[in-house]
Amino acid sequence: MMKQRTSPILEAGIVTVSGPLLAFSLYLLLAGHNQPGGGFAGGLVAGTTVLLAWSAGGPQVVRRVLPVRSTVLMGAGLILAVLVGFAAALPGLSFLESGYLELSVPLVGEVKLVSALLFDVGVYLVIVGITLGLIRSLGEERSDPSMETEQ
Amino acid sequence: MGLLLLLHAFVAVCVLAYRRSIGRAAWLVVLVGPLAALLWAAFRAPSILGGETYVESIDWVPSLDLSLMFRVDGYALLFLFVIATAAIPIFLFSRKYFSSDARVANFAGTMVLFGGSMIGLVTSDHLLSVFVFWELTTITSYLLIGFDDHKASARSAALHAAIVTGAGGLAMLGGFVLLAEVSGSYLISEIVAAPPEASTPVTVAWVLILVGAATKSAQVPFHAWLPGAMAAPTPASAFLHSATMVKAGIFLVGRLAPAAVASTGWWQPTIITIGFATMALGGWRALRQYDLKLLLAYGTVSQLGFMFLLTGAGTPELLFGGLALLAAHALFKAALFLLVGAIDHEAKTRDIRRLSGLRTSMPGVFWTGVAAALSMAAVPLTIGFAAKEAAFDALVGYSSAAILIAALASVLTVAYTGRFLTGAFGSHDPGQEPAGSSAATPRNWLLWAPLSLTAVAGILGVFPGLLFPFVDTAVETVTGVAKAGKLVLWPGWVPALAWSTASLGLGMLLSWRPTALGAATDALGRVTSRLPTAEGTFRKGIPALLTFADRSSGLIQNGSLPAYLATILLVAVIGPSVAIAADVPPITRPTSGTILEWTLGILIVGFAVSLVFVRRRFAVVILLGGVGFGIAGLYAVLGGPDLSLTQLLVETLVVALFAFVLRHLPAVFARPATARAPRLVVASLVGLFVFVGGLIANSTRSGSAVSETYLREAQPEAAGSNVVNVILVDFRAFDTLGELTVLVAATLGAAGLIVPILRGRRAAR
Repeated sequence: MMKQRTSPILEAGIVTVSGPLLAFSLYLLLAGHNQPGGGFAGGLVAGTTVLLAWSAGGPQVVRRVLPVRSTVLMGAGLILAVLVGFAAALPGLSFLESGYLELSVPLVGEVKLVSALLFDVGVYLVIVGITLGLIRSLGEERSDPSMETEQ
Repeated sequence: MGLLLLLHAFVAVCVLAYRRSIGRAAWLVVLVGPLAALLWAAFRAPSILGGETYVESIDWVPSLDLSLMFRVDGYALLFLFVIATAAIPIFLFSRKYFSSDARVANFAGTMVLFGGSMIGLVTSDHLLSVFVFWELTTITSYLLIGFDDHKASARSAALHAAIVTGAGGLAMLGGFVLLAEVSGSYLISEIVAAPPEASTPVTVAWVLILVGAATKSAQVPFHAWLPGAMAAPTPASAFLHSATMVKAGIFLVGRLAPAAVASTGWWQPTIITIGFATMALGGWRALRQYDLKLLLAYGTVSQLGFMFLLTGAGTPELLFGGLALLAAHALFKAALFLLVGAIDHEAKTRDIRRLSGLRTSMPGVFWTGVAAALSMAAVPLTIGFAAKEAAFDALVGYSSAAILIAALASVLTVAYTGRFLTGAFGSHDPGQEPAGSSAATPRNWLLWAPLSLTAVAGILGVFPGLLFPFVDTAVETVTGVAKAGKLVLWPGWVPALAWSTASLGLGMLLSWRPTALGAATDALGRVTSRLPTAEGTFRKGIPALLTFADRSSGLIQNGSLPAYLATILLVAVIGPSVAIAADVPPITRPTSGTILEWTLGILIVGFAVSLVFVRRRFAVVILLGGVGFGIAGLYAVLGGPDLSLTQLLVETLVVALFAFVLRHLPAVFARPATARAPRLVVASLVGLFVFVGGLIANSTRSGSAVSETYLREAQPEAAGSNVVNVILVDFRAFDTLGELTVLVAATLGAAGLIVPILRGRRAAR
């Protein structure tokens, strides 16, 4: 997998673009409760970014764009989602029931903080982790059988 | 009560966790369980005997109306005492009976788990929790019988017991559910208070429950598992297969008999027939055994039959006799089993043809055995006598045929008791090699436990009034009749005494002339040996069942992917189609779409149709992607930007991931091995079904669309105006969580499967 021939220009371009793309995915995540988007769509945008990075230069570039392990993302996402579910019990709500706070922040104005957003963050993390994990494992090159015998 | 059960489970887990280091001390730890149960029972006894009922309810799944309802009344209290009283000496006996290794702790842990399950069983009021505890006793019994798992005979005996009692348990579950559905309650107390009217479902329910009880209590024709279960180590036989578990069926019929008699006409005669058949068969088979333990086992079968009919008949007088007998039986039979264990431990055999001279070499065992055996034979001044007098007294009042059969069957009881005593302790022909004569006098510990059980039985025998309040309250809580019988040292000159004296005398006469008895049983045995036995039927039945299972699963699970797919798809198509064809609803024509919708639709159909004709894999992936993008376009046109966005992203990723996979596959599809026509038919049917089904589903809406609720509630309930997202993270968040979990599991699984292949580990090893 080391000898993938890709153009340095493409690589540099994709690395440059990936930052704004990831930011856009976060925007989708945060805006999702009221506008098109959400954790699932946001996660898929981030996943597509990973895919671009892979096509630009394999695992090294992916690591530069998103230096996290897929299992960490998936685990963190699931744990967060479950914790949000149980946190609903604190104010006496049932599992995964959402609550919200209305705050007036200076300069910004009225802001609604919805607990479901945290759950959506969990969704986002899991989706990113899944695409990252799938790309990593499926994208792995078939190793040279002649090398295997030396192992 | 919940805490008491938890304590049993906790003790068992502790012992099992430290089984390597704990050794035989495990028995002292598990003793905590029955001791706590005994203390609990003793502490509650005064108020329960006073007529109160201890009720405890633990909500389990309130929305399904499932709760752990414990209800300890006089009836449950009696069983609680029996369980705890039998467990304590047996556990102490076991401590010395086994040598010290890790497996002993396994055994001890399982024993205490069994004890806990048994306590749960007798105190549960909810039918389903009765079933759960019932099955727990089956499982622990399986483990205990199969303790010597290196012996094929022990394994098959354990399996036999588990299959018979497990099948009975399943039948019983069916009966419970039917009974509860008809009577509208799962609580035994409510069902007994208002028994359901006679009807076919009720009849079926009672039959099934009777089957469950009869299998557990080893009634004819299911009795064969109990002698087989003697493969278990002696303490398990004493605890499970004489004192407690086999009484579970008796517990159940006793508890439910008033309701069963009220709603059926056949319950009483059936249960009395089964009971007498079991009593006679068990007594008869006991007379022909050479293994002391098997002799006792068949004796137990016989006694269980007697108790089964007494408690199950549903009259207060018979129930009184049955419960008195049950308490007495638990004491003397457990003691006798432990004594056989002691003999086996010292003399290394239980065969009465080889044992000789134990009377002099083991005087303690001898005298204890005599005392316990006299109770079994119901000789006056023993608790067995007092209990049997109560039972006979009730039978005399019930019918003359019943008392005649009972007295005749009791002759067998006395005769096999005689065989037990002469066989275990008598001296035999000098020509035979005696095995027991060289045995050392067992140390005190082997004697201590059976002696204490016999002592309790002896005290109760001299003062049967001590047992009376327990039995009386138990009968009263079940039937509402107090003082249905009496437990006395001397019953006076009543007809029952004549019957029992006659059976005792005849039995003793038979034991007095063992050769005559032997000749008679041999002659009869030659005739009966041609009849099919329950064991033989079972042994033939199991291979037949396995062959059937083998053939049927070979037919169904044939390993052909096209066959599986065709089966699944055809079932999915034909089932609903038949239902729709029965009543074809009017189909409203969908609104004709805009030009844009038509264009996208034609595009999608074009991609889909061309898919069929393409043979290159990569082209297929591209065309599939085309279908997906087309659908994304339709979403956008129809006003679902979220769906559209998600669909686009998913399609992009899927095409790319396919591209990764395709690198490792041949470029062109191989020609399939199966014929083309059947696949064409199945595929067309599925396509047609989806199309027509979609049309029908769209035009036959009866309720209001769920989407309206979602649209209305999204802002006030979840403070979000993107309804799709609100559904995902709020209304249906539990679904989303489940899907996330599935996705993560699938991803990890895919990585685990793919990466080693790609790295060539398989090729290397």
